[in-house]
Amino acid sequence: MTFRVAIIGAGSMGTTHAAGWQHTDAEIVGIVATDSTRAQPLADRVGAKVYPSLDAILPDCDVVDLCVPTPLHRDMTLKAAAAHKHVHCEKPIGRTYQDGLDMIAACEQAGVRLFISMTTRFFPEYKAVHDRVAAGEIGKPATIRLTRCSYKPLMTTRNWFSDYVQSGGPLLDLMIHDYDFALWLAGDVERVYARSVASRDPNATGDYAQVLLRFRSGAIGHIEGGWAYPPPLFRRKIEVTGEQGLIEWESDGSAPLVAHLKAESNAIAEVGLPLSPLDEDPYTAIIRHFYAALIHDQPFSVTPEESLAALEVALAALESARSGQPVTLPRRS
Amino acid sequence: MRIALLSFAHVHTETYIACLRTIPDVEIIGAADDDAERGRSMTAKVGLRYSPSYEALLAEKPDGVVICCENTRHRELIERALAAGVPYILCEKPLATTMEDGQAIVKVVEAAHAHLMIAFPLRFSAPMRDARQMIVSGKLGKLYGCNTTNHGQNPTRIRSWFTDKRLSGGGAVMDHTVHMVDALRWITGSEIVELYAEAGNLFPQSGIEIDTAGTLMFTFANGAFVGLDCSWSRPTIYPTWGDFKIDFVGERGLITVDAFAQQITTYRQSLGRPTGDFWGSDTDQGMINEFAASIREGRAPSVTAYDGLKATEAAVAAYLSAETHQVVKMPL
Repeated sequence: MTFRVAIIGAGSMGTTHAAGWQHTDAEIVGIVATDSTRAQPLADRVGAKVYPSLDAILPDCDVVDLCVPTPLHRDMTLKAAAAHKHVHCEKPIGRTYQDGLDMIAACEQAGVRLFISMTTRFFPEYKAVHDRVAAGEIGKPATIRLTRCSYKPLMTTRNWFSDYVQSGGPLLDLMIHDYDFALWLAGDVERVYARSVASRDPNATGDYAQVLLRFRSGAIGHIEGGWAYPPPLFRRKIEVTGEQGLIEWESDGSAPLVAHLKAESNAIAEVGLPLSPLDEDPYTAIIRHFYAALIHDQPFSVTPEESLAALEVALAALESARSGQPVTLPRRS
Repeated sequence: MRIALLSFAHVHTETYIACLRTIPDVEIIGAADDDAERGRSMTAKVGLRYSPSYEALLAEKPDGVVICCENTRHRELIERALAAGVPYILCEKPLATTMEDGQAIVKVVEAAHAHLMIAFPLRFSAPMRDARQMIVSGKLGKLYGCNTTNHGQNPTRIRSWFTDKRLSGGGAVMDHTVHMVDALRWITGSEIVELYAEAGNLFPQSGIEIDTAGTLMFTFANGAFVGLDCSWSRPTIYPTWGDFKIDFVGERGLITVDAFAQQITTYRQSLGRPTGDFWGSDTDQGMINEFAASIREGRAPSVTAYDGLKATEAAVAAYLSAETHQVVKMPL
């Protein structure tokens, strides 16, 4: 039996996921998009049809892959679960903690599987750091420093990233990757303190934020994120120190391929994606993982509960940036 | 001009002596140390006259003194130098480890109509100076924030008093906060209005109970917020002693500065680890040159006791915040 996949959304992540699914033996049955001018070329490329709505595609699919703005995750997941479809959903799990709880409960109740696309765990540089820390090679983590800074998403129409009510801005949408990674390394967070440009000046042309985390283990985390760089700059950094050593990595210093060309124009992606030349890109790796775990009934390497824990940190960071006060976790609301 | 050296406690003392010796009109008249054994062995090592007491040395009326004693003893030695009529003091950072001591020093320096320069060599770093020029000239537009690190190794192997709180006043947070806070006050021309910090002894060594790790976040009056990792987190096998880096993020993008990026990397078969060997301009020499120039020209040095006090204030606020888990409003 061939698994039939419905990709919901034809934006940058819908396009990326579609490319990932093409590396599986699942069938992409359709692309759901309200704007068919954008969806049709993608559908043609992957040999699928364009559907006008989630409702329309549900009878024709086994798996729903949600690549839609964050606030739509909850209702679409509930709808898919009610129709007994498995769900692969872009990060973050939802816009609110309750969204996440509802999604987990609905999928459990319906007996379908829910997977949140926490791609950072599938980036080999992050996995390499994690595996060395987990193996105890630098001792117990003491400080964790992470950077993920890029430019403001460039879409000229329907730029939902710029609507912080929908996206949460970089403190939620972008830095969720690093909260998840930090939690993966050091366990539960006790306190969160955050500052952001947007919380101070909503009309600023760019956004930039820093989050200070204290883990229950005693470790200290510092996470920097932003949409303030000039395109196409995208920088990431990892530094983990421990009692017995240190691991460091910077995207600036490890680019294996650099071209400085006299081009007439440089096409810049609407949303920056941090990609390094690899045999298999992490966005494909995560879809293959999801698919393999699904068809072989194996556990996922990231649970929805872990995705929800990262969201909890993100929401605390948003609250702290707004109030100017540290937030103590857990705060389940 | 005649310069005297008070105490060899600090790791930088030998460097400062070497810097002073490059200046043609500077004569180092001698050195004293309350630790007689350290004083004797160090003066013998560097080839200076050893004076048996601070009093005897100060009685020789030096034009300036360089104070390199332990942090919590700065106030006492500054007061003794001023009482002896010394007009110029270069004091190792931090100026003080408490607001009470820091404020008392500023007051007594003013009352004596003397000048106290605090040792913030990063003000004399060529990359920092150029970064400041870019920020001041508005190239970045409105400054949103800075992500900064001043990492180091645990200094206890070189000078054990660094991890003795009675003498150092604190660990990594005291040691490194003052450098970055001073650099950023100088670059932004703004003062800190609130500060939050997490700190702890996360790189424990037996018998030592002091903060070895810390990360601060503080906000300037101009709205820019700063993250500062001041941890002694570099392992002994790390290629360098540490770092001093600032990423400035603002309206028009990103400016990064790394004060010690100008290094060659050397791999010695014999050493078993690579080393980064700095080839940039000598910041300590620039600082010592300014101290000597201020004496020569009879003017105030470009870094003052007040600058020292404001940096101390941030370190004090960081300990307060780390203890209470509250945001600390500044000035204290």
